[in-house]
Amino acid sequence: MFLALREMRHSKARYSLIMVIMLLVSFLVLFVTGLARGLAYANVSAVENMSANYFAVQSDADHAFRRSQLSDTELSAARSMVGEKNATPLAVQMSTITADGADVKADITFFAVDMDGMLKPKVVQGDGITNETKGSVVVDSKLKESGISIGSLVKDQASGLTFKVAGFVKDSSYSHTPVVYINNLDWQAMRQGTGQGGSSAQQVPYNVIALKTTSSVAAQITSKLNNVEVITQKQAIASIPGYSAEQNSLLMMIVFLFVISGFVLAVFFYVITIQKSSQFGILKAMGTKMSYLAWSVVGQVLILSVASLTISLLLTFGMNMGLPDTMPFQLKGQTIGLTSVLFIGMSLLGSLISVAKVAKVDALDAIGRTGA
Amino acid sequence: MSAKLMMKQVTHTYGDGDGARTILNHLDLTVNDSEFVAVLGPSGTGKSTFLSAAGALLTPTSGEIYIDGEPLGNKDKSALTELRLQKIGFMFQSAQLLPYLKVEEQLLYVAKLAKLSTKEAKERSAYLLKRLGIWERRNHYPEKLSGGEKQRVAIARAWMNKPAVLFADEPTASLDFSRGKEVVQMIADEVKNEGKAAVMVTHDERMLEWCDRVYHLQDGVLVEQ
Ligand SMILES: Nc1ncnc2c1ncn2[C@@H]1O[C@H](COP(=O)(O)OP(=O)(O)O)[C@@H](O)[C@H]1O
Ligand SMILES: [Mg+2]
Repeated sequence: MFLALREMRHSKARYSLIMVIMLLVSFLVLFVTGLARGLAYANVSAVENMSANYFAVQSDADHAFRRSQLSDTELSAARSMVGEKNATPLAVQMSTITADGADVKADITFFAVDMDGMLKPKVVQGDGITNETKGSVVVDSKLKESGISIGSLVKDQASGLTFKVAGFVKDSSYSHTPVVYINNLDWQAMRQGTGQGGSSAQQVPYNVIALKTTSSVAAQITSKLNNVEVITQKQAIASIPGYSAEQNSLLMMIVFLFVISGFVLAVFFYVITIQKSSQFGILKAMGTKMSYLAWSVVGQVLILSVASLTISLLLTFGMNMGLPDTMPFQLKGQTIGLTSVLFIGMSLLGSLISVAKVAKVDALDAIGRTGA
Repeated sequence: MSAKLMMKQVTHTYGDGDGARTILNHLDLTVNDSEFVAVLGPSGTGKSTFLSAAGALLTPTSGEIYIDGEPLGNKDKSALTELRLQKIGFMFQSAQLLPYLKVEEQLLYVAKLAKLSTKEAKERSAYLLKRLGIWERRNHYPEKLSGGEKQRVAIARAWMNKPAVLFADEPTASLDFSRGKEVVQMIADEVKNEGKAAVMVTHDERMLEWCDRVYHLQDGVLVEQ
C-alpha cells in the first residue's frame, strides 16, 4: 500500500476523476436497485407482508392465485397436517370501485380473509372488522390519495354492493392495485350475488390456502392431496400478474450497470497501468516482488471503490429522504450489502486485467532505456 | 579481498538458427570490494546486455555468474528478485525515480521492501542524502529536481540496502559534462566509503578519471585498457 497511497496522493486529480465516475456508477446501481425493489414492493406488498411462507394452490392453476379454486375439503385436509391456526383460506378478486361523494374510480383487489386468522389485516388507522361485521372493509392507505377516508362508502362495480371503509392498512398492494380486505360473510354475498343463482346454499370456494409450515410438510401436502400443489411465497409472488416482467427488465438494467461499471473501471486502470509500465519494470529490477505490485494495483481499486461506494450510499440515503412518497423506492440492509459486495467484486475483477499487464512487464526493460 | 562480482565464460546469444547473434562471447570479469570498474563501448556492442546479465535480470545462454559468492545459475525468478533486492543496487539511465514519491520516500521504499525497521531506514536514508548533498531536497518530488540531483537520489537509492555490487547503466547520459563528472565522482566515493563494488557502463570516455579499471567491450569480451 506504500506505493498505492502515495501515488493517489500525488495524482489527486486523476484519481478523483476515477472516483467520481465510480461514484456515479455505483449511485446509479443503488438507485435502480432501490427503484426495482420499491416497484416490486409496491406491486406485491400484500403478499410479501403475509406471515404465510407457503400457499396451497390448485395444481393446474399454474401458481396463479386467481386461476386456482379450493374448497373446504382441501382446507380441512391442510389443517389436519399443519394445524388449525397455520392454514387459512384466501380469496382474491380484482375489481373496480367507485366512492360516494368522491369522483373516483379505482382498480382494487379484494382479499377475502378470515379476520381471526393469520392473514388478518393490521389496521393502522380506524377500526378493524370481524368475521361477523357486515358491509365493512379495511383498505390500503393508498386509496386515501383517491379521496377515500374512514367512513367513506365504496361501491364494487361488479357486484353492485356497497361497503363502508372502517380502517386503513399500510403497504398492501397486489398487482399494483390497493387491496380491500373483506370478511368471508361479505365475500359469500358478493359472489353469490353475481353467481348464476341456485347455489346459494353452497359455500363459494376460495382461491388459495395460506400456510405456515416447513418445506417437508409442504411437500407432503402436495403429494397427498392430488388436486393441490404447495408453492413457496416467492413462487407465489413471481406469479402475480406483471411482477416477473417488471422485475426482469429492471434486473437486466442492474446487471448491465454492473457490467458497465466493471468495464469502465477496468479500462481506466488498464490505461493508467500501460502508461506506467516502464515504472513497473524499474520496480521489478529493483527487487519488488510481483505479489507486492499486484496488491498495489488491487489495493488502489479497493480504496477507490470502497470510498466511492460509501459516498454514493450516503447520497442514496439523502436522496431517499427527499423523494416524494409516490416514488416507490426501497433499499434494505440485505440488498445494500449484496449490491455493495457485487460492486466491489466487479471493480476487483476489472483490476485483474491490469494485474495481468503488470505481470507481463519484464524487469529487463529497465536497462538500456532512455525515456522518462 | 573478496570477489563481489564474478563472471565466468558468460556467453549470450539473441535469436537462434540463421538470425542468431552472439553478443557476449565467453566473457570473464571479476570485481572486488572497493573497486569501481567501467565498461566502455560504442552503442550496440552489448553493454546493456552485459549489465543485464551481471545484474541478474537476464539469464545468459551459458556461463556462470556469482554475486557476493552466490551463483545465479540455479535460482528461480523470485529468488533472483530477492537477490536483486538484497545484493544489487541499480542506477538507470536518466535516474528513473518514481514520480509520485518524494526524495526521501524513494529510499524508504527500498528499505521497506528489504524489511528494514523504520528507524534504521530513516537513519540510513538521512545519512545517504546528507552525504550526497540532497538532504534539503528530501521532501521534493522528482519533477522539482534537476537532472544532477535526480541522479544523486538514484545513487542514494542504489546504496540504500547496502548492496554488494552497484550497476550503473550510462548514469551520465542525460547530464552535461560537469554534472556527469560529479555523479561519477560520487559513485566512486561511495564505493570506497561503503567498501562495495561498482560497475558502470558508459560510452563517454571522459568519465573514467575515478575508475579503478577500464574495459572495452569488443567482440563479446572485455579487453582491459
Ligand atoms: N532482446 C533482444 N533481441 C534481439 N537482439 C537484441 C535484444 N537486445 C539487444 N539486442 C541486440 O544486441 C546488440 C547489443 O545490444 P545492447 O546490449 O543494448 O547494446 P548497447 O547497450 O551497447 O547499445 C544490439 O545489436 C541489439 O540490437
Ligand atoms: Mg544500452
